[in-house]
Amino acid sequence: MIAFVSGGARSGKSRHAEALARSWQAERGGGLYYLATARAPSMTADAEMTRRIARHRRERGDDWMTLEEPVAIDTALAQVADRGTVLLDCLTLWASQVLYASPLDEGAAVAMLRHVMHEARARQLRLVVVSNDVNEGLPNHDAEVQRYVAFLQRLHRLVVTEAELVVQVIAGVPVYWKGERPCTP
Amino acid sequence: MHCVIGGAYAGKRDAVRARYDALAWHSAYAGAELEDWKKRALPGTTLVLEGWEQWLATALADNGDDDRLRQRFTETLDALISAERERDLRVVLILLEMGRGIVPIAAIDRRLRDLAGWLAQDASERAEWVSYVWHGLVKDLR
Repeated sequence: MIAFVSGGARSGKSRHAEALARSWQAERGGGLYYLATARAPSMTADAEMTRRIARHRRERGDDWMTLEEPVAIDTALAQVADRGTVLLDCLTLWASQVLYASPLDEGAAVAMLRHVMHEARARQLRLVVVSNDVNEGLPNHDAEVQRYVAFLQRLHRLVVTEAELVVQVIAGVPVYWKGERPCTP
Repeated sequence: MHCVIGGAYAGKRDAVRARYDALAWHSAYAGAELEDWKKRALPGTTLVLEGWEQWLATALADNGDDDRLRQRFTETLDALISAERERDLRVVLILLEMGRGIVPIAAIDRRLRDLAGWLAQDASERAEWVSYVWHGLVKDLR
């Protein structure tokens, strides 16, 4: 089972995705995993990013097993035990790390994401993918920014096609594009 | 008239292709001038107009009066609606959502954003159908 949760900045998408992962985990047992594409505080020199990660951790609670992986999300997924529920947070950051801090080209990255979703299904894991809507503002004139937005949209459309549950979060309110609203959250 | 609105690379064209055939594309991205749409409005076709933000950007560069510009685009919308009635034609407008980012620093970008938002409102008001495209999925709002 795969879910895609997206929305604008501070729309409540992480909170909603966490609640969804928790309800899936409560339903069927297994471990609860947080697959963070952001590097750990010790590895980042950016104080704002460090605070951001700390805030997310605090809000999430400590019953999550955290896996940190900026690029190789397939390797990270291999560490998840059977029946696990995985929250992948977030695709936006992963996309930028793939493009600017990895040897992968776009095609290889798409193949990796496809593989991750395939593996999740084959191993009967539950996967919640969180991302950010960045394509509804004034178009950026910079060619590199346009390439990034186009690439991220390619990833979004791929995950949306695969996912059974697709949720847009607007001001904390989930709008269901695919699938039914679960009993909880 | 059918308005299809969504962000950049959201899948708006695919949404149009999935729903209509006999498509006649009138595209600013291919260099078409807005005023030339009549040449492409052949009976039995679905006329798709895309690249409105480029037509707006060109228009606002030579005209400082946004109310007048809005009026001018509204007249084009009305002409499209009339053509739909007079000829055996369907009109689809592809509109780029660009109002959800931060307020642009440059005045010309703010004007473009405003005009694009007004155009979307004016077009939706006149359209029988309005759809929103989000990451390849389509929601019919009207």
